Amino acid sequence: MKRPYQVDTYALSRQSAIFKMAVALAGISVAFALVFSSLARADDGKLKVVATTGMIADAARQVGAERVAVKALMGPGVDPHAYRQTRTDIVALAKADLVLWHGLYLEAQMEDFLVALGKRHQTVAVAEALPKDLLLSHADYADKYDPHVWMDPQRWAIVISTVSDALSSVKPDAKATFEANAARHLEDVTKLAAYAEKSLATVPAESRVLLTAHDAFNYFGEAYQFEVLGIQGISTESEAGLNRIRELVDVLVTRNISAVFIESSVSDRNIKALIEGAAAEGHAVTIGGELFSDAMGRDGTYEGTYLGMIDHNITVVTRALGGSAPERGMTGKLAASS
Amino acid sequence: MWTTFLDALLLQAGYNAALVAVGAALLGIAAGTSGTFLVLRKRALVSDAIAHATLPGIGLAFICMTALGGDGRNLAGLMLGSALTAAAGLLLVAWISRATRLSEDAAIGAVLSVFFGFGIVLLTLIQTMSSGRQAGLDGLLLGSTAGMLFQDGIIIAIGGALAVGAVFALRRPMTLVAFDADFAKASGWNVGHVDLAIMGLVLGVAVIGLKTAGLILIVAMLIIPAVAARFWTERTEHVVLGAGLFGGLSGYVGAALSASAPALPTGPVIVLVCAFLFVLSLLFAPIRGVLASLLRHRRFQVRVHRRQGLLALAHSEAVHDRMTLAVLRRDDLIRADGVATDIGRAQAAKALLDERRWEIVRQMQFAEGLKANFDGLTPIEGVLTKDELAEVDRRLGPLSIVGG
Amino acid sequence: MRETPVKVAAEDGRIVKPPTSDDSPLAVRGLTVSYGDKPAIFSVDTIVPQGSMMAIVGPNGAGKSTLLKAVLGIVKSLSGTVSIFGESLSEAQQRVAYVPQRASVDWDFPTRVIDVVLMGLYRKLGLLGWLTNHHRKTARACLERVGMVQFAERQIVQLSGGQQQRVFLARALAQDADLYLLDEPFAGVDAATEKAIIDVLKSLKSQNKTVVCVHHDLATVADYFDRVLLINVQKIAEGPVATSFTAENLQRTYGGRLAATHIDDLRLPAG
Repeated sequence: MKRPYQVDTYALSRQSAIFKMAVALAGISVAFALVFSSLARADDGKLKVVATTGMIADAARQVGAERVAVKALMGPGVDPHAYRQTRTDIVALAKADLVLWHGLYLEAQMEDFLVALGKRHQTVAVAEALPKDLLLSHADYADKYDPHVWMDPQRWAIVISTVSDALSSVKPDAKATFEANAARHLEDVTKLAAYAEKSLATVPAESRVLLTAHDAFNYFGEAYQFEVLGIQGISTESEAGLNRIRELVDVLVTRNISAVFIESSVSDRNIKALIEGAAAEGHAVTIGGELFSDAMGRDGTYEGTYLGMIDHNITVVTRALGGSAPERGMTGKLAASS
Repeated sequence: MWTTFLDALLLQAGYNAALVAVGAALLGIAAGTSGTFLVLRKRALVSDAIAHATLPGIGLAFICMTALGGDGRNLAGLMLGSALTAAAGLLLVAWISRATRLSEDAAIGAVLSVFFGFGIVLLTLIQTMSSGRQAGLDGLLLGSTAGMLFQDGIIIAIGGALAVGAVFALRRPMTLVAFDADFAKASGWNVGHVDLAIMGLVLGVAVIGLKTAGLILIVAMLIIPAVAARFWTERTEHVVLGAGLFGGLSGYVGAALSASAPALPTGPVIVLVCAFLFVLSLLFAPIRGVLASLLRHRRFQVRVHRRQGLLALAHSEAVHDRMTLAVLRRDDLIRADGVATDIGRAQAAKALLDERRWEIVRQMQFAEGLKANFDGLTPIEGVLTKDELAEVDRRLGPLSIVGG
Repeated sequence: MRETPVKVAAEDGRIVKPPTSDDSPLAVRGLTVSYGDKPAIFSVDTIVPQGSMMAIVGPNGAGKSTLLKAVLGIVKSLSGTVSIFGESLSEAQQRVAYVPQRASVDWDFPTRVIDVVLMGLYRKLGLLGWLTNHHRKTARACLERVGMVQFAERQIVQLSGGQQQRVFLARALAQDADLYLLDEPFAGVDAATEKAIIDVLKSLKSQNKTVVCVHHDLATVADYFDRVLLINVQKIAEGPVATSFTAENLQRTYGGRLAATHIDDLRLPAG
């Protein structure tokens, strides 16, 4: 009789054999599944493009149209200076056919990763294609540039062309389509630039001061002759000091500025503190509106596109500072202000 | 820069600077007093755990409020969320150290890192939420002191007053539990509840100060003032008051400093001022400070050498030790060639007499407790009464007079 | 777990406690405490009569301190009951005073000698009661009794071991209790302090208070105490010193760890 503690070696080895076969079968099926699924995915023909900011994604969609599937890592209200890639992002970036990022140290937390990615994947830093004489230098760092180039439609036009070239280089057979789409989009952008010039010119000279939460609007200021002041520096990572707030309260009071602006992707706390400080000096300042600085509006809305974003900014700034512009913007598509 | 600093100290540097100075001072007072008992109870690290455990609450509150259609950045909601998860973290730390064999600091470390990690995950998730408006949540990590609003000041004033009031009301059980928890228990106090009160106070201050100092810096405001105050006093009430004073001072001066020069972020500067006060206390506090104990040690050394030198002279032994020689010469007890002066001989004789008197005292029964005062240096006249001394001298026998 | 006292309706409808047979200062039945899975004390019974001075003796790890702590509710007991003057601990709290071991406290705490003694008055003062001169006088009187009044303003970190022990005793005196529980009050103190402490304890006994001490020095048991409880996780023996503090009981308590010569030195009654 077999005693309970005795091991039945024959039964065991038979069990082990069955186990091994089961594992092998499972492994083979998984392998098949993977191969088939990857084969299956590749045949809808669309170029997989992953962009970091929403503005770049919008450019890619306008240029690529139905030939591309574009995913943006940073949605509305997201601050690109502080954004850190998640694991899902990394997977998407690795699987993309083309990665479009801004460069000029906008995606500060992702910079090292994107540069490393560029060594083995197709990546293009679209803003770095701008000629250096068109760039404004960084207020704090001598060898760095201000990255907020999308604020000037004319500079952004160059970026759009770069996007078109990038798409064409990865998918040469669609080059003609891309260039046609880009040309069409650039027409709209030119219209936008003209609208900006016209509207902002109506703002009286003494009101031409744009005070926002951080220094995102230098290109706007340079393009349209506005003085631009930000509470925080070029990057939102720096903390605003009391000294800076006091400085700006003085500016508000002495220059008699009546409206300041909050940003969708930055906390409005500092602006509110500024307003309280001015009020304590007897000078009433209101919030002229919320501007889209580092991110666009909600997906699916007009403000969620590049044209809409800039249209909104121009219209809001013009109207708040005493100029005249249509309430619904250049194309009449802006959301009605509350 | 310094004129601006002075202006800021006098609240003349503009509304924002004045608001921040007063608000930070009030927060500092509340944090200093509340943190004292945590430090005395030797649980300073719990403040770190509480502060880090607020992060997931902020994330959860934001997600909930946004999902319900409201403003995700509503301050009341964020404070409530942070308080709830911090309380959960607290209870978890208490439960872990009670129910498992983990020591308390291991429990704190575990809870701190898990909660904080969960908080970061939530923040990352929020980062990708398409509803927007999530900007500024991570400002709660390091605070945005410069952008203090009037409503923040009100919250700090009311919350701080409540915290200080609670410290006053509970000062006796908290002191007792911090000093001798077993005795407190045996006296009928519920030690568990008192501990929860101590930690709950810290939680309250952390939540109040979240927007202003941020959760990483609020820990400094809770702990450093109490540690600095400890150097100056040996009475618990005074430590609490001193901590409140140091906390308030750091807030006020730090804010003024930050207003006086560009690129000085207010929150960190306040903490630096606090740390500076700590270093000052460490070095210069009388009795417990480093400098004071060095001086005391030095004085003691001199006295010992002086006495040893005198005894050697009395026994007509040669003195070789350099320090002893230096001390004797400095006091004119010995000439340059090593021969005792008149005063020196008189002092030496006195020292010898005291030695002999102490020998007698040791043999006698009456001065039990006073023997503890014999450190070789205290003059015996300061320890025994006149008639006791007379009795001792009677036993010694006749004395001969030495000059000087 | 303590049994909740059964309440009985008296004839006029009032709820009263049933008459107990045991109103002694301390009555312990079946007390068991364990740390983890190991029992520290197991099913200990003892009854301490009023006005007695009892020593609890046993080897290291015998559970002597644990017994005191379980009686006072400082550690949780697994089973058994404790009654103090016939009532539960929470009811009789004001009548018990505790002197913990000196080492259980960090003496580098910012407080003065007088403040420590005043802590003994905290439970009477409550949270917001005003500390008056009367309280300070009481505290100073307690310090006087232990010979420490000239140290009243001194920081406790500057005290010697014996002085610290006296301060703890003064604190317990300030509580004006009827039952005093002391944990190794004579450990590591100088001869003068030992004398001072035993004088205080004897004066307590003369006021018909009850004193229970965990005691470490077998040589002085017979001189200081009139009752003894020998314990080594379980109770070995209990009773008047004359009849219970015997060589045989000691051998049973110390499990043969006590050298025969040591017991001889104690010059105990045979039996």
